[in-house]
Amino acid sequence: MSPSPDLSVVVPVYDERQNLPLLQREIAAALEACGWTWEVVYVDDRSEDGSLSVLLDLWRADPRVRVVALRAHAGQTAALAAGFDQSRGRVVVTLDGDLQNDPADIPRVVARLDQEGGADIVAGWRKRRHDGFVLRRLPSVVANRLIALVTGVRIHDTGCTLKALRRELVESLPIYAEQHRFLPAMSAASGARVSEVVVNHRPRRFGRSKYGLGRATRVLLDLLAVKMIASFSRRPLQYFALLAAPFALATLVLLATGLARAGPPTGAPAREQVLLVAFLLSFMACVYFVLLGLLAELVVKVSETGGRRILATTLEP
Amino acid sequence: MSPDVPPAAAPAQDAGAEAERAGERGALDVSIVVPVDAGDGRVREVVEALGAELERLGRSWECLPVFDGCRGPAWEAAEALARELGERVRPIAFQRPFGQSACLAAGLERARGRVIVTTPQYVQVDPRELERLLAAIDAGADFAVPWRQQRVDPLLNRVQSAGFNLLMRRIVGAPFHDLNCYFRAMRREVLEGMAIYGDMYRFLPVLALRQGYDVVEVQVRHLQEWGGAGFFGFGVYARRVLDILGVVFLTHFTHKPLRFFGSLGAAFALSGGGLVTALVLQKLLVANTGLYNRPLFLLGVMLFVLGVQVIGFGLVGEIIIYTRASALREYRIERIYDKQ
Repeated sequence: MSPSPDLSVVVPVYDERQNLPLLQREIAAALEACGWTWEVVYVDDRSEDGSLSVLLDLWRADPRVRVVALRAHAGQTAALAAGFDQSRGRVVVTLDGDLQNDPADIPRVVARLDQEGGADIVAGWRKRRHDGFVLRRLPSVVANRLIALVTGVRIHDTGCTLKALRRELVESLPIYAEQHRFLPAMSAASGARVSEVVVNHRPRRFGRSKYGLGRATRVLLDLLAVKMIASFSRRPLQYFALLAAPFALATLVLLATGLARAGPPTGAPAREQVLLVAFLLSFMACVYFVLLGLLAELVVKVSETGGRRILATTLEP
Repeated sequence: MSPDVPPAAAPAQDAGAEAERAGERGALDVSIVVPVDAGDGRVREVVEALGAELERLGRSWECLPVFDGCRGPAWEAAEALARELGERVRPIAFQRPFGQSACLAAGLERARGRVIVTTPQYVQVDPRELERLLAAIDAGADFAVPWRQQRVDPLLNRVQSAGFNLLMRRIVGAPFHDLNCYFRAMRREVLEGMAIYGDMYRFLPVLALRQGYDVVEVQVRHLQEWGGAGFFGFGVYARRVLDILGVVFLTHFTHKPLRFFGSLGAAFALSGGGLVTALVLQKLLVANTGLYNRPLFLLGVMLFVLGVQVIGFGLVGEIIIYTRASALREYRIERIYDKQ
């Protein structure tokens, strides 16, 4: 095998025993036709159904297969990160282990990296999904709209695992903490050109889905964090000032109302007291936010990266 | 060797020294690390008891007593041992106390053994039990943790210790019965790359388990302590409850501070916001009493502000994590199956 293949396919695997042999056949069939040199990096996220032994069979059968076995179950993002760290291809494609992505789409997704002005990351868009509507598609549509709105990265389907990334991006991208959903947003934040391609989506054949509805709060909190990191990581004070703004407004309104009503003391509990305390509390909130923002500035200042990773792309002829 | 700052938790800080030591690593079977924080620690007894046992088992060994900013008779004993046994005993001293975790990190940095054995500064467990700990490691375990049987220390100690371990099992979900016994054996890989600081020393088995290492509990015979601390007051264990909070945070939320602070803050903010909304609705729809008559209104506003602030702390945490993201690795590779 050449030391640096054209393409690395990274597949995080968790309990997908039955899907794997078929997946490998489909990947090989799809890539064989393209004439690229390639490798597949399977990351076994400590499967409990014996997926690893299936993977090792594939590994023995094909020298282009590499298997990374994790020591403990680490989650999909961490498994992806492990695959990225071990991949060697000039382009890295990520793929789900559950066969819902169609490996036949890989060539189109990769080709998109060089079309229409080029891109550094291409996300798949499962336009016609084969999942339950209420539990999977509706939350996904809402989440995607929200993510696009907040981060400003207009991608229809951030949850699709089928993505293609250039090596330079893979190496500059901090991937941690269940953020695979936010890869396009984080990539855009480091200066990457983001694009998308409609891909095929197939119903599940074996195994069961590992997602549920319980992720809503987490996605919301993550979104709050990603927004800050993607847009404000170099100047967090501004983000915190934004958060303080409603309280500042409340402070001013309360102060104005209080002053307008000010009169001689009466001794009885009155509106003014409530106004005073509410004013003080929102003022406190304001001050705290600004102080936290300053603290964040300090953190960014002492960090090695200055709070932002910048992707510098060299244009190829 | 008297570093004035605690040694960096992560190895590989100094590439030159690292390369120099690389040849020595794994040159011996066992390195015993003994953190000593009292001048009257029984270093000689520990070294002689464990050394004799390791000789009997036919293992090559060395002992690194790490003096945590104290000297006294224990230091003299260690120096004497170093003269008698040469390379076998290599005392390390801090100029001021940095805690047991720093001691372990300093010992690990200089240890040459494939297996690291930690022990308290007195003979707490029958030295013969070392054989069973090492046998567990030989059988494939990465970390062998003792579980003292027939405890001989005062009742209050045992009750507090049992309570602590029960809490750990319930809250952290760590399946261990005796985290307070530091007579442990572990492969050096377990410790390398693990940040050992603060009170992590106590929770090493929990952290190792979470990283996917094979941690086994071995029942050992408790020995009447040959000296040293035999009795712990309430304060010692009260502090440990705080440690539990710390370890829960570190094991579950290290990389996602906003999940922790955010959930907490959202709970405050939502209850505060709910309270205020309910009171306003009540005023508008039911009885037109002024909000200034309702102390609950203030409570609501305060809870809301508190919640929002807690979320703010989480955001600062996220910034900290992000700026260190390249140094974070959330996975541990067991093996890479590459070219055949």
